[in-house]
Amino acid sequence: MHASRLATVGAMASGVAHELNQPLAAIATYAHACDRLLSLPNPEIGEVQAALREISAQALRAGDIIQKLRNLARVEESPRAPADINAVITELSDLIRSNAQAHGVRYRQELAPNLPTINIERAQIQQVVLNLVRNALEALALGRVDARELVVRTRATPSADVEVSICDNGPGVDEQLRYRIFDPFCSTKPAATGLGLPISRTIVQTHGGALDYRPNQPTGACFVVHLPSTWPN
Amino acid sequence: MQDRAPIVYIVDDDDAIRAALRLLLKSVGLAATTLPSAQDFLASYNPQQPGCLILDVRMPGMGGLELQEQLNLRGAIIPVIFITGHGDVPMAVEALQQGAFDFLQKPFRDQDLIDRIQRALSKDQTERSQLRERDLIERRLESLTAREREVLDLVIGGKPNKIMAADLGVSQRTVEIHRSRVMEKMGAASLAQLVRMVLDLKGGAATAA
Repeated sequence: MHASRLATVGAMASGVAHELNQPLAAIATYAHACDRLLSLPNPEIGEVQAALREISAQALRAGDIIQKLRNLARVEESPRAPADINAVITELSDLIRSNAQAHGVRYRQELAPNLPTINIERAQIQQVVLNLVRNALEALALGRVDARELVVRTRATPSADVEVSICDNGPGVDEQLRYRIFDPFCSTKPAATGLGLPISRTIVQTHGGALDYRPNQPTGACFVVHLPSTWPN
Repeated sequence: MQDRAPIVYIVDDDDAIRAALRLLLKSVGLAATTLPSAQDFLASYNPQQPGCLILDVRMPGMGGLELQEQLNLRGAIIPVIFITGHGDVPMAVEALQQGAFDFLQKPFRDQDLIDRIQRALSKDQTERSQLRERDLIERRLESLTAREREVLDLVIGGKPNKIMAADLGVSQRTVEIHRSRVMEKMGAASLAQLVRMVLDLKGGAATAA
């Protein structure tokens, strides 16, 4: 199962963000110190020069970290194969169900029959679905205790493409955050990286699809993965 | 010992941050001791040394919160200023609940840090002088005889000498002698001062419990 890759990427990116803060804090502190040292009556120039050299070394350190982040976030082009989205979701059912149970959430699956075939990198799309499921379970943990529900649906769109929606009846996305949730580092969860949704969207987009949010009715969040079908090719 | 210059301890696992902070503090005339880990700090910590502690929340090995817990267990009064990274705010809140003096999010404005350090040092100084005063009063209380202690309690209770003499079954003159011995041993210039000393001690003990 490759599904843990996205979680791994997320955890690593969190570490990287923390790492990046270190040289930035050091640079800011050295710069403040230089400013103050130079304001003293008889500044020791050697001391200030040493601090300036440290500043450039720390800037290089920050650059290295950003390079690492870039490598991490790059979504590799990999071989795609025709797939039935229902089969792709069904493979995840047990995992999703047991996760949902662990969170005290009822899991429902509504898979429409006879959907068009899609051309996908299976593991990547599964990572996206699992990431959205995990977001939903975390959101539900914040909501009211009874009748927590997670629903994964598949359907054909009017234009004969395929749609997977991951919906919960949790608190939903705050109206003010609604248009920023796909921005990197826009996380409302303290321990999160703020990269889960942006990376998921990137993966879906490289498949020629789209990942969007809409509020669920009467409450909650729906994330909709839109994937183009290979039909009529 | 009472007049030792304060030291700002900096505990952070990042070499560059330690060095940068040390230089910043030097630029404003503050002495700093830097340590790369919580364990190193605990090993070299001297409770007699006035100062404050700048502590990174996230460190390999013992983290900042754990070090704070250890210090709390040892009854250390050193004020702790936590430095946190992005997304560590819940940790900072926990630290404050555990009695941390303050916290700053990285990267921070130098003046914010310096202001907090100055406030922490002045808090440390105030607490240390209060502790010294309490110690002094306690030692003086211990120097009283049992009878003098009785007289003290009655004096604090606002009893006139005549009533006290009756209560203790001694002459008023004897009460007066005990009373002046109590004032002398406690170093109190007035009844009001004596009352304040004893009440401060009790009040302090009540809040520390």
